[in-house]
Amino acid sequence: MIELRDVRHRYGGRVVLDLPAFALPAGARVAIVGHNGAGKSTLLRLLALLEAPTEGAVLIDGRAVAGRAIGRARRRVTLVEQRPILLRGTVRDNLAYGLAARGVRGAARERAVAGAAERLGVTPLLGRRRAELSDGEVQRVAVARALAAGPDVLLLDEPASSADRAAVLALHDALERERAERGLTVCLASHQLEDAYRWSDDLRTLADGRLSPVTPENLFRVILPADAVEGVKHVRVGRTEIAVLTERTGHAILAVPPTDILVSAVPLATSARNQLSGHVARVARVRPGGGVHVTADVGVELTAVVTEEAVRELALAPGRPVVCTFKASAVRVF
Amino acid sequence: MDDRGRRVEFLAEGLRRAAALIAGGDPDLFGSAALSLRVAGAATVIACGLGIPAGFALAGRRFWGRRAALVLVNTALAVPTVVVGLVLYGLLSRRGPLGGLEWLYTWQAIVVGDVLLALPIAVALSAAAVEGVDPRVRRTALTLGAGRWRTAWTVAREARFALMAVVTAAFGQVVAEVGAAMIVGGNIRGETRTLTTAVALGTAQGDFGLALALGLVLLALALAVNAALQVLQGRGRD
Repeated sequence: MIELRDVRHRYGGRVVLDLPAFALPAGARVAIVGHNGAGKSTLLRLLALLEAPTEGAVLIDGRAVAGRAIGRARRRVTLVEQRPILLRGTVRDNLAYGLAARGVRGAARERAVAGAAERLGVTPLLGRRRAELSDGEVQRVAVARALAAGPDVLLLDEPASSADRAAVLALHDALERERAERGLTVCLASHQLEDAYRWSDDLRTLADGRLSPVTPENLFRVILPADAVEGVKHVRVGRTEIAVLTERTGHAILAVPPTDILVSAVPLATSARNQLSGHVARVARVRPGGGVHVTADVGVELTAVVTEEAVRELALAPGRPVVCTFKASAVRVF
Repeated sequence: MDDRGRRVEFLAEGLRRAAALIAGGDPDLFGSAALSLRVAGAATVIACGLGIPAGFALAGRRFWGRRAALVLVNTALAVPTVVVGLVLYGLLSRRGPLGGLEWLYTWQAIVVGDVLLALPIAVALSAAAVEGVDPRVRRTALTLGAGRWRTAWTVAREARFALMAVVTAAFGQVVAEVGAAMIVGGNIRGETRTLTTAVALGTAQGDFGLALALGLVLLALALAVNAALQVLQGRGRD
């Protein structure tokens, strides 16, 4: 549906996004996770055609979007920013804005406004103005406004940032309904992994403007030293040190795949160079059949994916002492 | 009467004469006021009509030469009114390139001079007004599918108070301007004598009362226009 090809985007000469390929298939439910400053918002603005990439192209249905086509393409892709702003006028005026821009008038416009307002639970707010709304209400209205315009692709930047739990669930339901009814493509950016897992079935990680080749847990921004002992480098991460097998030096991202971490009650006699002691911080079941995510504080937070059986046998619960073990060669560097 | 008393009497006499001229509906006085209003109104409409879209273009788009254009506009803000009058005189005089228009010493010439003076104000202040609008407003309009004009209108609605101030500043500049109006208008009684050129003439001729009356009418005019704009601003709140 929409894709970025060979995109390198710069701000003041600094590369903030480097994506050889990034695609959102029609009807997909994609989440982009990453730390603050990873490039998530920039990526969404490029996808929304609000900024042109410094290098590379944005394609919709396989065709590069440029020149006059940008205006038409924008009507198919709508972005809800992290801190959305409501335009002057009432909530009703805001919900009607995108429809008016598409030439929808009269009863059809009223119906679309009422429908979008009902789906996001903002009907009681329709007569209010922006100064009379809370941050959470503004966010709901912004999503309703985007949906009322009927885009093919909805981009959401941190949609849960200022919403309460009930509002997040209402938003989730509304998006699901749109997807079921008309195949809406949804792509959201979040720095909260659990939300991202809950919302999406395609999770992508952005770190320093690049897509991570592994899952989003256990990513650490480090400076790799030049010195190595038999190829192994020891890098400070949080209050601990991680052994990593790499020839790279300088700024890099380390990723420890959660499935490569062994969790035990006591230190193991193994060849693995990383044995980090600490205690369980959280135990989460983020997706049915996706294993149990055990996050331990071992001087830095590490998440391991284990089975239900392992959780029972080791009695893994918050506060329980554990040891996390993984090989230096399991640490990915990018 | 001592020296101090004579000075007070001079001012009091001036005020008495001014009051009498205003109360009596002096045709010269009110003729100049009407001309000032017409000229300043026309010049403000033209300058803002051209300047505000130019300000939008300067603020909203990144194009080659934008920085140079901004420097040029900001420099134009500091050009003395007599210099504008002088250049325009050169253009409109019988031997000048625009002499064929025969606009020299007409109210149209004053309008042209005032437009040249108010245009940089309209461009610079409206560019600043647009730059002051939260950038999310423009992005929101665009992502909701608005075209160029609808987006500009949406941004203008958000910047309405600042844009109103642009109109006020442009009107203030042209209604108070005297240098260019004197040079290209010629200060002809009943034709090109505006309030400001009449004040200058009255003072030069020693008719302090008349000059004071003209000054008071000018102040009242400026006050009325600004008050009207304030009322409009009040109505435009969210």
